[in-house]
Amino acid sequence: MKFTPDRPLVMAFAIISSIVHIIAPTRVRRAMYRLLLALWASVAILAAAMPVKAAAASTQARLVIEAAMDREVAAPLLAAFTRRYPDVELDYRDRSSMAVNARAQQPDPRVDVILSSAMPWQVALVNQGLAQRLDSDEARQWPQWAKWRDEVFAFTFEPIVMAYRLDLAARMLPPVSHADVLNLLTQHAETLAGRVVAYSPSKSALGYALYLQDSRYSGRFWKLVAALGRVDATLETSTQRMLAGLSDGRYWLGYNLLGSYALQWAQTHPDIIVQMPSDYALISMRTAFIHRHAPHPEQARAFINFLIGREGQHVVAGETPLYSIRDDIVGPFTAQSLRDQVGQRLYPQPLDASSLSMLDTARRNDFLARWFDAYSGGTRRPDGRLRSGRQSLRSHRPPARRPRHPWL
Amino acid sequence: MIIHGKLRNRLLAWLLSMMLIVGGLLMMDAWVTSQRSAQRAFDSQLEDALLTMTEAIQWQDDQPRIMMPPAALKILSTRHQERVFYRLIDDEGRVLANNLDIALSAKLQREAAEGDVWHNIHYQGVEWRLHARSVRSAGWERQFRVQVWVGHTIEGREQLARELLTRAMGRILVMGLFAAMMIFITLRLALTPLKRLRHQLRRRQPQDASPLSGTMPEEMRELTDTLEQLFHRQGESRDALLRFTADASHQLRTPLAGVQNAAEFALGSDSPAQWHQALSDIHASAARTSRLAGQLLNLTRLRHLALPTEQDALDLADLLRSVVLEWVDHDLARQHDLGLAELPAQPICVIGEPWALREMIGNLIENALRYTPAGSEITLGLSLEAEGGGVVLSIEDNGPGVDPQMLERLCQPFERAGRQDTDGSGLGLAIVETIALRHQAELQVSNRDAGGLCVHIRFPGRQS
Repeated sequence: MKFTPDRPLVMAFAIISSIVHIIAPTRVRRAMYRLLLALWASVAILAAAMPVKAAAASTQARLVIEAAMDREVAAPLLAAFTRRYPDVELDYRDRSSMAVNARAQQPDPRVDVILSSAMPWQVALVNQGLAQRLDSDEARQWPQWAKWRDEVFAFTFEPIVMAYRLDLAARMLPPVSHADVLNLLTQHAETLAGRVVAYSPSKSALGYALYLQDSRYSGRFWKLVAALGRVDATLETSTQRMLAGLSDGRYWLGYNLLGSYALQWAQTHPDIIVQMPSDYALISMRTAFIHRHAPHPEQARAFINFLIGREGQHVVAGETPLYSIRDDIVGPFTAQSLRDQVGQRLYPQPLDASSLSMLDTARRNDFLARWFDAYSGGTRRPDGRLRSGRQSLRSHRPPARRPRHPWL
Repeated sequence: MIIHGKLRNRLLAWLLSMMLIVGGLLMMDAWVTSQRSAQRAFDSQLEDALLTMTEAIQWQDDQPRIMMPPAALKILSTRHQERVFYRLIDDEGRVLANNLDIALSAKLQREAAEGDVWHNIHYQGVEWRLHARSVRSAGWERQFRVQVWVGHTIEGREQLARELLTRAMGRILVMGLFAAMMIFITLRLALTPLKRLRHQLRRRQPQDASPLSGTMPEEMRELTDTLEQLFHRQGESRDALLRFTADASHQLRTPLAGVQNAAEFALGSDSPAQWHQALSDIHASAARTSRLAGQLLNLTRLRHLALPTEQDALDLADLLRSVVLEWVDHDLARQHDLGLAELPAQPICVIGEPWALREMIGNLIENALRYTPAGSEITLGLSLEAEGGGVVLSIEDNGPGVDPQMLERLCQPFERAGRQDTDGSGLGLAIVETIALRHQAELQVSNRDAGGLCVHIRFPGRQS
């Protein structure tokens, strides 16, 4: 960021003196050289004084980040950024993905960076023109599948996992794949009744996206939803709440948890086992973009470049369970290490315009209706109308057919 | 500059400016083509996306619904990752699906209800390309028309157009450079003979009249031939000039030698009668010399006189009559029978200068008087030709005539046909010929069958 005066000045000096050399007679030449030298010296002195001013200006710089990322998980990353840019004052606001999304759409949000795990929503924000393009070497080198329009960048590669209490392992064979979960739910329905937790498709953005993806990759997905309904699974809004419930002993089994949070949690809660699905694993990616009306665009660019640069990714791979996307980073948490663990069947959510279809109201309503239909044990007649299912004990009610907002 | 500079520079300037014009036209064409190709490529993606969406319209509860297919949005976004817009409106104005609050004017919506719409708008400070079409969707009980709008930003179009344009420009530039190089080389090669000719001409000595050496291209052959003819003519005229000067000197020397002789003879004598004799000899000689000089002057003046720009028609018969009348009383004509043949009744008009024609007729008469013995008959005549309207002026005598071999050379200066017995300078016929040439008239000298010489001067008809 520093102003380096030397190269352009030296070039200007060289050009001017060669012109003088060519056109002027010797006597004039000498006088002009003296004048030029004096000029050069004064400019150099001025220039030497300038970086001090620039540095002084940047000490006041702030960086406002609206993030749907747990402060605890993000802490090493933020600390590393502060070490690298000690002059930037970080204002990190940890919120839910829906709150972040709403904040980004305010007319004058005074936010620099929007960071969220709700990928379709992030893409929608970019599509609305709320992002700035990032033009940097890091951005250009970033893999094509992990960025869109050079505006929004995915910088983590977080597997979706299952988690269970040791209580469960004591009574039955713990699940290692999606099929195992379905088997457990059917075979031990009575034992597990009320002790299973999963995302709410209607209240959690990530949950909806994950179910939609599950339905695409698993042929027995709807049976699994029905089984969740039969054990009266609790529908939560965040991984943190699911983990808290597991630790409390309220739940024995959690389905589709964010791996990053679960792994972090398990480090301090030995009674909870985190299981990476062995058949296939969905991948959720944390995305970040610079807000169009960012008050501190320079710092925001520095932050994104840091996130997707070698340094940031090194922290992601080594100190957080967020998993690095870059192949050239070595550490316990990299996409490569995940591939070694699970195999090639890692399914990241697409980061492109096609994910906008998930947000389309009609499509979303249709999916939710079908989900709750399966969950409540009803079946669809050929004409698409619902047939009333069995009475359920669960406390959750299917949402209205038309939510008042697409991302309720 | 271009008109007056070196031939090579002129050619170069013309060829290069032509090339620049052609290059400019090509570049304009490349620009238009690249814009059009990019537009076409991306418009077809808009169409595909619209079609894919159209096929995803379903009926539920007797209402049209759309299950937005991800593929449609992927197509709409293109591989340039454009921002996308879609909106589906049924004919009751209900929005079935929508993702951005782009304002669509009532006029646009009307147009879309009637047929395909292609439209560019500005939204959030960037340009978008929109496409809309109305599709019929039939339910069980009702039929709906659904207006499908799709659109995307135009960054990809611009980039593609730029790429196409850059590629085309590169090709044009390379071709242009190549052509320019070829033009330089070709010009150098083509202009080599000219350069060679220039060198040859520069090295040439003034008196050299030999033909040019070396082969020349077809186009330059004419030029070199002309040049060679010019050299040849120049050589000839120089020779003639030399000859004329030598002859003139010789002619002037003879009377001067006579004057010298007479003077010496007088100086060596004491008798006043002999002095008188010598003085009268000297006087005669001086008169002859003076006449010779006058004739020489006449000839030179006539030969170098510029052709008159305008000549008046005059009556030749009248002129001839008056000149002959003048000469009848002349000293020289005392012992000759100078006559005029019967002239045609009507005036005979020729175009010419009166003074020159007078001079010509006078010379003819004087010539005849000087070269015929006393008592000879000299007759001048004038006749009209039956065909072509030509006029022939003739003078005939019954003198001794001329050796036929001499006839050809009779008109050359100082040619007296071997006669040394007269005071004639030998310039008379030369002057006559010069004046005849000035009037485009033909001079013909021949011996008469009955003896004596006959000179015909034929003036062309007035119409030619």
